[in-house]
Amino acid sequence: MMKHTLLIKLKDKDWDLLLIAMIFVVMVPIFTVNLVIDLMIFSIFVLGYNLLYGYMGRLSVGHMLYLGTGAYGAAMFIAYINPNPFLAIMFGMLCGMAIGLILGLIIVRTNGASFALINLAFNQVGFFLVQTGFAKWTGGEDGKSAYFDKVLFMDFYQPTHVFLLVLVILILVVLFVKKLTRSPFGILVKSIKENETRAKFLGYNTFRGKLWTFTLSTSIAALAGALYTINYAYVTPSFIAQSRNVEVIFATLIGGAGSIYGSLVGGVVFIFIVNLLPNIIQRWEMFLGIILLIVVFRFDKGIWGSITSWSNKRSIAKIQKGA
Amino acid sequence: MISVIAYGLTIGGILYIISIGFSFTFGTMKIVNFSHALIYALGAYLLISFQKLFDNNFLLSTLGVVIGIIPFAFLIERLVIRRLYGGSIHFAIIATYAILLIGIDSIKWIWGASPIQLSDPIGANFNVFGVGIPIYRMLIIIIALSIAGIIEMVLQRSLIGKIVIAGLEDTEAVKSLGINVNKYFTTVFIIGSSLAALGGVLYAPITAVEPYMGNQILLLCFAVVVVGGMGNWRGTLVAAFSLGMLMSITGRIWGAAADVVVFIVLAISLIIKPIDI
Repeated sequence: MMKHTLLIKLKDKDWDLLLIAMIFVVMVPIFTVNLVIDLMIFSIFVLGYNLLYGYMGRLSVGHMLYLGTGAYGAAMFIAYINPNPFLAIMFGMLCGMAIGLILGLIIVRTNGASFALINLAFNQVGFFLVQTGFAKWTGGEDGKSAYFDKVLFMDFYQPTHVFLLVLVILILVVLFVKKLTRSPFGILVKSIKENETRAKFLGYNTFRGKLWTFTLSTSIAALAGALYTINYAYVTPSFIAQSRNVEVIFATLIGGAGSIYGSLVGGVVFIFIVNLLPNIIQRWEMFLGIILLIVVFRFDKGIWGSITSWSNKRSIAKIQKGA
Repeated sequence: MISVIAYGLTIGGILYIISIGFSFTFGTMKIVNFSHALIYALGAYLLISFQKLFDNNFLLSTLGVVIGIIPFAFLIERLVIRRLYGGSIHFAIIATYAILLIGIDSIKWIWGASPIQLSDPIGANFNVFGVGIPIYRMLIIIIALSIAGIIEMVLQRSLIGKIVIAGLEDTEAVKSLGINVNKYFTTVFIIGSSLAALGGVLYAPITAVEPYMGNQILLLCFAVVVVGGMGNWRGTLVAAFSLGMLMSITGRIWGAAADVVVFIVLAISLIIKPIDI
């Protein structure tokens, strides 16, 4: 029965998920398992960020707070409550959801620059709490190791097991974001980006829409953070440091904001740049800055956006030729 | 107690000097200028170089920095900020953030990444009720207040000031009078940048000079501008000194929490009075 429904779903144009999964599996023998795990976790984070920036048009420069909440939530759960990794991931995600709901009540009332910077301010507060405020429990600057249990045959100290887990979660997240953005709710969210006043005028409760999208975005970010904890088996304050926000913004823009495939492309490209370029290019931040400037002024569609607009133009040209 | 008040006023003075330019850019061009933090850090680093050049003459080096920063500010305005006028707010944030990244990396390239300590250029103390307060800090407070006075006077009395005030109210209306607003905004931007560099110079002997010093101050600036009202120069003055005081008092109780309390104030003021940009 389960298999049957799965087949029906795949017929409904969802076979691209299979393709995505296959691409990531094929990458493993070409590169290393650890690199591909990094790619996938980061792509989950970018997907969550894209939900907020690409679909709802709200730029946050403090999204590391939510990633860090998930990472620390999972690590604290493992250290003080239960060493089960699955429960820890779930707990981390719930932490992200809770913080998104609570802070979201305040944050989503703002717009534009206020939205970006209020996130940054909260990120600073979170960083302070983790590094200094609660240092007794979080391990402060040194971070904290996570010693989790094996569950049945799943042993997350082995990269291949982590790989499978992350792959499944990534596919689920892609499926979720896809379904969400094509649902009436997703269309409402896009209309908030285009013109919020008009959406309000049509009688939609835009506040609720913004709050839920924000919460979903923080939950997905926290999920990625919890996966980082499982993957590395430790957390440090760098998981919540605001200086790393540029990574996810960079990935979202370079891939193409407002598209699922764009997020995946952006995440993959960014991790490749991180892993390959520092050996070649010494001045790493300068490189990121210059690319960001180019993206803003000349390449604002991103890689995936450029590909789609190019293929659209081609098909239009073909139709015109035929006519 | 007296030292807490003196420290609060010093921080307030520095915050005012740095924020005023940020506030005007925010109010006139509607751009959150992240590269303001770079100018601030660059000011402190240029001070180090000028001091070597001018034989540790602090006054001369300060003058050198304030003038030397102008070409940088001009380039940033011409090459990046000008292209962002009227465009997407998000791109403005990202582009100025990119400049900040490039600048920080250049600073690390030229001056190295390790923090540099500077000594107090005056070194003498002033006695207030038996508590020694460095004269240098008193000087900062006086400089900040005189800058506030000069800005007030220029805005009220001169033609440039009136155009800028009108531009803050309604840029389109001023443009329709045939006034080239952008020219004045550029001037304001450059003066604001010079002041930010001056803030960096004045603050450098109190804290350590390090490449990321701007990132922290940026949020404080933003807090000052939000609490004081964007483009509101009097509000900025009041907000800078109140927040400086708050930081000083918090710092006395729990040193590490001094900055955090400002962010909490920032969050609260954004809830009460969300800004529309």
